[in-house]
Amino acid sequence: MTPAGERTEHATCLGCGCACDDITVVVRGGTIVEAINACSLGRSWFGDGNVPAEVRSRGRAVPLEQAIGDAATLLGAARRALVYLAPEITSEAQRAAVAIADRLGAALDSPTSEIADGVLATQRRGRAGATLGEIRQRADLIVFWGVDPSVRYPRYTSRYAVDPVGVQAPNGRKSRTVVAVDVGPCRGPDSADERVTLAPREEVDALGAMRAAVLGRATGSPALGRVEDLARRMAQGRYAVIVHDAEPGDPAPDADRSEALVALALALNGPSRCALSSLRAGGNRSGADLVLTWQTGFPMAVDFAPGYPCYRPREGAAVWLARREIDAALVVGSAAGLPAAVAQGLAAVPAVTIGPGASAAPFKLGVAIDTGVAGIHESGTAFRMDDVPLPLRAPLHAIAPPLPALTVVRALAERLAGR
Amino acid sequence: MTAPERLRIAGGAVYDPANGVDGVVRDVCIEDGRIVAELPKDAPRLDARGLVVMPGGVDIHAHIAGSSVNHGRRLLAEERAADPAPRPALVDPAEPARSGTGGTVPTTFTTGYRYAGLGYTTVMEAAVAPLAARQAHAELDDTPLVDAGFFMLLGNDDYLLEQIATGESRRARDYAAWLLGAAGAYAIKIVNPGGVACWKAGSRNVAGIDDPVGSSAVTPRKILEVLTDAANALKLPHPAHIHCNNLGQAGNVSTTLDTMRALAGRRAHFTHLQFHSYGGARGKAWKSAARDVIEYVNGHPELSVDVGQVMFGPATTLTADAPVEYLLHARTGRKWVNVDVELETGCGIVPYEYKEKAAVAALQWAVGLELFLLARDPWRVVLSTDHPNGGSFLAYPELVRLLMDRAYRDERLKRVNQKLLAGSALLDGLPREYSLSDIAIVTRAGPARLLGLRHKGHLGLGADADVTIYAKDANAATMFAAPRYVLKAGTIVVRDGQLRRAPAGRRLHVRPEYDAAVTQDVKRHFERFACVSFENYPVGPLADPPVGGGGA
Repeated sequence: MTPAGERTEHATCLGCGCACDDITVVVRGGTIVEAINACSLGRSWFGDGNVPAEVRSRGRAVPLEQAIGDAATLLGAARRALVYLAPEITSEAQRAAVAIADRLGAALDSPTSEIADGVLATQRRGRAGATLGEIRQRADLIVFWGVDPSVRYPRYTSRYAVDPVGVQAPNGRKSRTVVAVDVGPCRGPDSADERVTLAPREEVDALGAMRAAVLGRATGSPALGRVEDLARRMAQGRYAVIVHDAEPGDPAPDADRSEALVALALALNGPSRCALSSLRAGGNRSGADLVLTWQTGFPMAVDFAPGYPCYRPREGAAVWLARREIDAALVVGSAAGLPAAVAQGLAAVPAVTIGPGASAAPFKLGVAIDTGVAGIHESGTAFRMDDVPLPLRAPLHAIAPPLPALTVVRALAERLAGR
Repeated sequence: MTAPERLRIAGGAVYDPANGVDGVVRDVCIEDGRIVAELPKDAPRLDARGLVVMPGGVDIHAHIAGSSVNHGRRLLAEERAADPAPRPALVDPAEPARSGTGGTVPTTFTTGYRYAGLGYTTVMEAAVAPLAARQAHAELDDTPLVDAGFFMLLGNDDYLLEQIATGESRRARDYAAWLLGAAGAYAIKIVNPGGVACWKAGSRNVAGIDDPVGSSAVTPRKILEVLTDAANALKLPHPAHIHCNNLGQAGNVSTTLDTMRALAGRRAHFTHLQFHSYGGARGKAWKSAARDVIEYVNGHPELSVDVGQVMFGPATTLTADAPVEYLLHARTGRKWVNVDVELETGCGIVPYEYKEKAAVAALQWAVGLELFLLARDPWRVVLSTDHPNGGSFLAYPELVRLLMDRAYRDERLKRVNQKLLAGSALLDGLPREYSLSDIAIVTRAGPARLLGLRHKGHLGLGADADVTIYAKDANAATMFAAPRYVLKAGTIVVRDGQLRRAPAGRRLHVRPEYDAAVTQDVKRHFERFACVSFENYPVGPLADPPVGGGGA
């Protein structure tokens, strides 16, 4: 190894859903020492690349073969198993895990259920969307709706929506107007050209009034005049973009916000063009949604119990676990990335955990097989928050010992198939 | 070395129009997945006496995999929920048997099972954005039983339009060649050339083939010429696959004929022609213009088409032609997905239902049938519904019956809304009935030939042993809906009408040669505008070799 270290160019960071694929990762002595181009969130996501590499069954270190056998026994004996696709795995591993859920007749879910309101809104109404690069090319008016991406999606504005030059934005940031809509404590970016302030209880009415204005109707409400003006300007521009955070927030947004945003963005495509950009977290969460959709027809909360996939969007893993109907679980991915309610429910269920840091998961004693992190130790495919697929070039692929999640999940699937 | 896998399909009536075989009773011999001349007497036999033997079906145009298809699945969860598809009972436990859901846009495994259940063994996904090619490959990997490839969207690509604007048609060709290899695609697809670019840029659409697209040097005509010439110069197995401007608009026949004339003398494929064969005037009464269009096609042997038949019932309209989907959403009020895809293309989805009592749907149904029945050369007119746009591929058997059975067709015709049918040749009582050989041409031999798949669509020596065996039935829809046996590469996958095996299919893709200098220029374009690294864009090596061999 050279003193300069091994460099992996064009690595993809899954620290958030931006999935920036311009990272150069430098590895020295089997440890990541630098992630060039990465933001602070990305640098901490890559970390030093050192992860546990243990294989445990009922708390004891065992050979992999035994762990796989114990896992198959545990899951095979379950009356009602749950398969949960946690973050930090490749889509190849997600596909293999869904196959196991199908074989077991299991319940199946992912963190996408955390944003069920938004998913259901798009299933009811549709969606006016664009890939992030298209926002970069076209947007002339960008409205950040109760979100400042610099916190959870640090490079969103520098790579996509605001700063860069686009085909129809020759002067980058100067070619665009940026509006921050502050909803209670959820503020838009400080650098916005204009601001509108709304109380949380006003938000959904404001979105409704904006849609009415776009459709040529006025509410006559003096309180909503500001947002109606904004809506009319959006309708008169060339290409407006509304950016919102689709992930759960604190405080939780109005449950009807998603649908109101979807409806407004759709309506703006009558007089003008508009896309709604829904920010999603990293770890290939979007991949779980897409893989579930192409294999089962539904993006989340699938139940294979009848022998085919059924959609239970008002339920999902947290509800199934709270009802204590699950008697064994398979978690594929990072247990540290589980939603709190799911993690809490899993504490009472014997679990097979296959993923980064599995051996450290606080679940009831079952089987834990540590794997690498997708994009750091494991190559494959992941999806950006806008559903664009990207390759993962694992900088520690050839060096570090943890097993690839895909290999382990496939071995378990084969064991369950009796091979 | 293991013994070769052999099978003699004995005593069936063979329909193999590519080899001039029309219902002759003879044996078909298979060894190691290929058709061979003869086998030893003691080779295993499949008794096909009294049955009809054809090559496996070849779908030249369907939407079965990739990001826009998956958006369609996700949008219409209620349709999926209403059509559960339990795991098939496969004989080999080593093969994954997967459940899924159907509707007009089934899940991947279910798509493979259902195509095989119809006797189709090769399918082309008709519209993939190169940016999302990786997803299309992943979905096709999860679609067993069919050999599959995809067409790559290129008629609204920013870099391509820039080359046309600056007169760099040679570079445009090199770019197309590079992109085909990078995406692992099979052919060049043109969708509403220039129109989708206008939709994204804010000028909504083009109205005809000489409208400017951004630069005055760029018009739909120019895009069509450059890409059609590129496909032919690159000697791609399938020519440019063209979805014309003004899809679904009254009076669009003039645009369709303008497009065909613009490409006169060039090999080109016009897809879902039914949706482009309407007379009348925009916003006014529609009427059939099928006769005008098909007569042009009849007189120009360099052209081929697929029909894109509308079948009554539910459909999902799903296309890169985003401005059309906006219009459909505005007209019907149904839910709508639009996704603008960076620097490349668009995507629009609206659920739809074709009702026989609706005037326009009835006209569309009639126009498709007219195209089939007035076409003189079945080798250039392929059966398709533009699945799921005109209806599901599961409607193919019903469509076959409409083509083969005049009495049934006339009966159906009486039930549909007649308001817009004046002038339709169908009303004059077109007497033609397709023969089994005609059906074999429009569903397998013809599309295989047009796709340049030399080992598909026939049962001659060396052909892939993809074979479908039907039991004759007075009702052609019954016959074609449930083949008795289906063989994929020599393996019996459907036996007695039941799916028993589900091997993976092969990937069909090309890798044409190009002047490598183009990649430096494309890389500069990426660095300037793209937000995916140039190095991360190509899908990388595929497991199956390219069709027609090597290249760059």
